Amino acid sequence: MRTTFLASLSLTLVMLSSAHAAPPKQPRAPGIESPDYVWEAQSAEEAQLLKMKGDVARGKIAYQVCQGCHKPDASGLPDGTYPQLAGQHTTVLIKQMSDVREGRRDNPKMFPFAGKHVVDTQEVADIAAYISSLPLPGNNDKGPGSDLPRGKTLYEKDCATCHGDRGEGNASKFYPVTNGQHYRYMVRQIVAIRDGARRNANPKMVRVVKNYSASDIGAVADYISRIGLQGKAAK
Amino acid sequence: MNRPVLAILALSSTCSAFAAPPVAGDAKKGAAIASQVCFACHGADGNGITPPNPEYPKLAAKQPEYLLKQLKDFKTGKRKNDIMAGMVANLSPDDMTNLALHFSAQKNKPNVVKNPELLDFGKKFYAEGNPDLGVPACAGCHQPDAGGTSTYPHLAGQHASYVHLQLKRFASGERDNDRGLVMQSLALRMTEQEMKAVSEYITSLK
Repeated sequence: MRTTFLASLSLTLVMLSSAHAAPPKQPRAPGIESPDYVWEAQSAEEAQLLKMKGDVARGKIAYQVCQGCHKPDASGLPDGTYPQLAGQHTTVLIKQMSDVREGRRDNPKMFPFAGKHVVDTQEVADIAAYISSLPLPGNNDKGPGSDLPRGKTLYEKDCATCHGDRGEGNASKFYPVTNGQHYRYMVRQIVAIRDGARRNANPKMVRVVKNYSASDIGAVADYISRIGLQGKAAK
Repeated sequence: MNRPVLAILALSSTCSAFAAPPVAGDAKKGAAIASQVCFACHGADGNGITPPNPEYPKLAAKQPEYLLKQLKDFKTGKRKNDIMAGMVANLSPDDMTNLALHFSAQKNKPNVVKNPELLDFGKKFYAEGNPDLGVPACAGCHQPDAGGTSTYPHLAGQHASYVHLQLKRFASGERDNDRGLVMQSLALRMTEQEMKAVSEYITSLK
């Protein structure tokens, strides 16, 4: 108990002393490179978050610190720098924010604005509730449209079981809504998942895309970017 | 042992800024103090002095929550500034509340743009930030019209030289009383040219 307290104390002091002329540094937690990695293992905070009730009205206020990048409608950037988030499952948002906060998903750009030093636990729950309540913008970046039949075949063979026929994901299994996501964001993420750079990836998906070529990834992402589910994704 | 514990408490209290009650007091009493203590640098109506000095911001129309927080931070030393430390030394908590309400209630007068050639880039940066380096758009927190929110201050019409100086101080860590280190984190990712341009754009807003 005492050791834990002292450990958290020194961590806090490190954070405080790093306040001077150094951005808050993202911690690093074991990820897919680690032999005992469990994809859906929950930290104490994540377990707590998944039980909490987020408040949409409070979330709209807490989301102010996010919208400088993800935009007021949570549509992100078409070039894929920032993902589309509107209508995403709260479970997915909580898991991904937790993974960034705790260092299983490396994101040095986002961490200073999403870490525990700036967004508290209740705010994470509220932000997730707010983002999830937003309608799908429906103006996402699309691929070139040149290889859609192959994209469809790959999607139905490899992706639909988890992400759903219409890219609706699966809230209880933490599978994201992919419908309406930016093409270039999906390409970037699938490559990162295939190559091990996305350290919080689901090993099942890593296996699925392991032998995907660049053109396979382009074709499937292009297909997903056009699935075109209208309105908010089914939960 | 006490000090680190207090530090933790202080840190956790910065994380729950949303529950603050509305600032309540007497703006008239604040006006009386402003005309004796603050006017020489900030103008009695908070619209600053001519010519503007980068050390003396305009205060008119800023959120009372923001103004009160800065006064408290000058008093506790969380925001380090020798001039302001002297000025707030004799102010009571009520005085500070009343001053915040007085300046907040003043009409913000349009400012003078000295470098109009910077406005186009400043406007773009204000609205978009720099996605390549992960600088959030200013508009996200401070709002598209720079009117601010109860969490993030009003900026419209502020002196460009003051905004520029604050950005530089956030980047160096000389100013470190920002909520959740957000300004320090993003200012570190900004170039001098971006700071200058966005400051000029903020000055141009009414």
